[in-house]
Amino acid sequence: MIISNHWLSDYVSHDLSVDDLAELLTMCGLEVEGIVQIGSSLDGVVIGHVLTCEPHPNADRLRLCSVKIGEAEPITIVCGAPNVEAGQKIAVATIGSVLHMPSREDPNEKIAVTVRKSKIRGEVSFGMICSEVELGVGDDQDGILVLDHEAPVGEAFSDWISEEGVPLVDHAIDIAITPNRPDAVCHVGVARDVAALTGKQLKMPEIDIPDHGKAATDEFSVTIEATDVCQEYVGILVRDIRVDESPRWLKQRLLAVGLRPRNNIVDITNYVMYELGQPLHGFDFDTLADSKIIVRKTSGETEFVTLDGNKRTLPAGTMMIADGERDIAIAGIMGGENSEVTRETTSVLIESAYFDPVQIRRTARKLQIQTDASYRFERGVDPCAQARAAARAAELMVRLAGGTLVPGMVSARSVTVKPTRVTLRRARANALIGVDLPAAKMVSLLEAIGFEIQISDDEESFDCTIPTFRPDIEREVDIIEEVARLYGFDKIPEPVRSSVPDHAVEIPAQRLLREDIRDRLAALGFRELYTNSMLRLETAEAFQVDILPGGRLGGNIVKTLNPISQEMAALRPSLLPGTLAIAGYNANHGRKSLRYFEIGNVQIRAHSNESIIDGYTEKELLLLVVSGDDAASGLHQDVRKMDYFDLKGVAETLLRAVHLAEVRFESGTSQFPVASSYSIITSVGEYVGVLGELSASIRKQYDIPAPLFFLELDWSTISRLAEPFLRKRYEAFSRFPVVERDLAVTVGANTPVGKLLQQIRESGKPLLSGVSVFDLYEGDQIDSTMKSVAFSLKFSADRTLVDKEVDLCFDGIVKVLKSESGAELRR
Amino acid sequence: MSDSANIDDTLNELNKEIESASLHSDESIESFRIRFLGKKQGRITGLMKRIPEVDPGDRKAFGQRVNALKSRAMERIETAQNAAQTQAVTSNDLDLSLPGRTLPEGSVHPLTQTHRLIIRVFESYGFTVEEGPEIEDDWHNFTALNFPPDHPARDMQDTFFIEAPSDKHDGILLRTHTSPVQIRVLQSQKPPIRVIVPGRVYRNEAISYKSYCLFHQVEGLYVDENVSMGDLKHILHVFARVLFGEDVRMRFRPSFFPFTEPSAEVDIWWKDDSLPGGGRWLEILGCGMVDPNVLSAVGVDPERYTGYAFGMGIERIAMLRYGIEDIRILYENDERFLSQFA
Repeated sequence: MIISNHWLSDYVSHDLSVDDLAELLTMCGLEVEGIVQIGSSLDGVVIGHVLTCEPHPNADRLRLCSVKIGEAEPITIVCGAPNVEAGQKIAVATIGSVLHMPSREDPNEKIAVTVRKSKIRGEVSFGMICSEVELGVGDDQDGILVLDHEAPVGEAFSDWISEEGVPLVDHAIDIAITPNRPDAVCHVGVARDVAALTGKQLKMPEIDIPDHGKAATDEFSVTIEATDVCQEYVGILVRDIRVDESPRWLKQRLLAVGLRPRNNIVDITNYVMYELGQPLHGFDFDTLADSKIIVRKTSGETEFVTLDGNKRTLPAGTMMIADGERDIAIAGIMGGENSEVTRETTSVLIESAYFDPVQIRRTARKLQIQTDASYRFERGVDPCAQARAAARAAELMVRLAGGTLVPGMVSARSVTVKPTRVTLRRARANALIGVDLPAAKMVSLLEAIGFEIQISDDEESFDCTIPTFRPDIEREVDIIEEVARLYGFDKIPEPVRSSVPDHAVEIPAQRLLREDIRDRLAALGFRELYTNSMLRLETAEAFQVDILPGGRLGGNIVKTLNPISQEMAALRPSLLPGTLAIAGYNANHGRKSLRYFEIGNVQIRAHSNESIIDGYTEKELLLLVVSGDDAASGLHQDVRKMDYFDLKGVAETLLRAVHLAEVRFESGTSQFPVASSYSIITSVGEYVGVLGELSASIRKQYDIPAPLFFLELDWSTISRLAEPFLRKRYEAFSRFPVVERDLAVTVGANTPVGKLLQQIRESGKPLLSGVSVFDLYEGDQIDSTMKSVAFSLKFSADRTLVDKEVDLCFDGIVKVLKSESGAELRR
Repeated sequence: MSDSANIDDTLNELNKEIESASLHSDESIESFRIRFLGKKQGRITGLMKRIPEVDPGDRKAFGQRVNALKSRAMERIETAQNAAQTQAVTSNDLDLSLPGRTLPEGSVHPLTQTHRLIIRVFESYGFTVEEGPEIEDDWHNFTALNFPPDHPARDMQDTFFIEAPSDKHDGILLRTHTSPVQIRVLQSQKPPIRVIVPGRVYRNEAISYKSYCLFHQVEGLYVDENVSMGDLKHILHVFARVLFGEDVRMRFRPSFFPFTEPSAEVDIWWKDDSLPGGGRWLEILGCGMVDPNVLSAVGVDPERYTGYAFGMGIERIAMLRYGIEDIRILYENDERFLSQFA
């Protein structure tokens, strides 16, 4: 909300520079987000008299004006305004004067411009005839400002405008109002804090509040039918008004706070709202059927045309203002076109009411309109300020629109407001804040913002009556906040030392492993990515596949009900799509070798034993992808494309690093569109992830040039399985020599080597301590249906092995390979 | 051996041969070694064997000369070997200025690095890391945190809602902050509680240079007897000094969060000589004393226990630390960006 510094000074003489004021406000909880200077000193701007006004010889739309600005000779000014005429009194910015004008790029930004002697289309201009906007004294920018005929030629324009009540320089201070400060959405509310913090007097406008009754009650009636949502409704009637433009000072104040002046009646209701915080509405009284005001709720869906000309469909239960026949306003949100004040209006009924915040908020949200009024009502206006605000507006209408006040007012009330009383304990306040304030200090801080306080005899507790404009304050802690805020958070001392807990922090396995793996992968040449969790529904569905850790859960994709766009309507079931997009992006930016990883959560709409929120499962996954060249250059070796075994090697290293037991890679047999081939990874029979090659069609979709291999691991499960191994203990190892033997066999070409390895490991127990494959051969030397595989075997024990026992073990292995896989020893 | 002149000649000749032998290759060095120092046929070895045969009067002189020859021969072998080795390295046109065999360069994302830094500070002060779900219910995300239904405070955080799995559930959403984990911790642990909660949170806001549809938050919570705002200021000051230097200037200004009372926002002074005043205040986090309603909602006695909570955006801290002006670059994952954090 914007506050005018000049307007603010009506209620508190604060003597602060605008920067100091902004600092003061920010540090008391009214955060200043911006300050814009309006107007300037206008030194050098004088009142001139246009003597002649001739067409410019070289430009159709410009005029050459001879302007008298004092005793001396008239000066020539080139003017482009359509409304300039001989005989006018106008404001002339003479050479050297500085104006604060709207910037061409951003009309909301003002920049200082110095007026210079200039040649315009061949004619020299010795100054500038100004518009309201250029002077910063109004919003009219279509033509120059034309002054009264009495305006004294040659005198400073600043003197003239000051007499109109318009400040030369003002500042629009933009304050971010937090929801707990309904009192601060008006100038008086902000002034109250300024007064409290500077020790100055708060000067409230003097308002005569009429009593309920008198002539007003004979003229109209107010009935509250919706007593649950309307606490009070005050009406004051002003007759004989003349709807016209507002005086310059009033327009200028509204402009300063960002409102567009409309006419004096509407402007006055806005003015009072920005002054006192109470939203008002003015009805054209003569349009009201039966001179009745009824506050009620719609019984069914209702159509209604608001004063902005929009036809709106209102749900049943919307609180409305009605007259004897029809609805005339959506209560607290916007008036109706059928009863709005127009140029022809002569009698205005001023509405000032207290509407229920929740009701207003719900309606405003349903209708998706937020108005200055709804904004204030939903935060909670002062429930005791209705009559005062209505009276203030009535008085201004009498003064500025020539109206006649119908004596008295009509006030309907459904609830009697009792001020809230709360006990504040001094010790509690001091303990929570961390200070030791004496009773007198606390009392003076609170009294400055309108609290009434009775102190107990021991000065330890205060019976506080909360001012009604602070509906947010209901509890002791709310008052403690006020004490702290007014005392100043910055003054609260910090303890010199603080206590530490009696036990050291224990880091859970999942995080320990996660951070360790991040470092390992970075060291292995992988880059960590952070990708968006939200994506297109179709994309999400394409990656909800049984072989991936997320897809295995079954269920559905999680959709947001109110997505930013269709591009982000679903939550990822896999980390793959996000990473593929990045792979495509970087490949397109010339990266030939891609190695990425991401650790993050995926969400599935399926209930599982891991569900925290019923019906949804979240899993932490680790994704690795590789694609493209295995090396950055072919200088020392041939560059080749990375393949399945590049990533499998990393997978094996990784799973060894977390000490997962009995890890197996089982080649997948079912087909899935996402992968052209894949292996399911298990540990002790439990699924932990999948390693595969991305199908070419998906790879093309993501614009990835080289084959891409992915490893998606269920990190939640891996952390759980790995946890026991984190408490690992040393095992003694054999220091006796290791015996190495090579074993080459021929087997059927389709026999998986993984199977042979498993058979060797099993049959080689207990002497066999290691086995690796060192050669694989298919070709001319052997039968085309066969292949040759060569293994390197290592044997060891807690003693020196003799050849005989190694031979025995070796033969055993050969036997098993023959019987189970038909392998023949190759000589 | 009687003819000392003859011996003399032999030794002189041997000396000549040793000096003149050409030792340009491994083969010539080896044959030299065998010819003079070989166990069986080596000529010096042969002379050494004959030392006992020499007249006792000449033996000493003879022995010294043979030993000198032996030392000299060994010296030549060593010199030649060294030369051959040096040659081996520098020959074959080996260009040592060529680049090495590069290993692929990996990197940990700057958000992880910043996350770790933040966690490290608080862990060293005894805070334990807790985590919670990204899909939350309204009660944990809002109601228990003292956001009343239909209160304007709910507008402070634009929320993504998610369809409820069944009629008996409603208000399922993507958490807008990590604060619901406060509730989960307070429900499952007894004070004193000192936790730090990192995690991904979501806001339904238009994506721009300063906001993304999701970001990462770190939340802190300390609940114990006699916790004051002074304690809160103390820990956050410690934190700011680690991140922004010993001479960091910070200020606490009153603000509003439904789950803390009093609430504050913390700014640090950001030096920038191009600005009038030499810098500006930048908000880095929000904090406050845990609202008694929050403690009551989870069955903790607010009369006995008080506490503080604070929360900050990891992205914001990372952007400040690294001088990043557009939040989107953190999610773009351009290698030209990531490689700067290797």
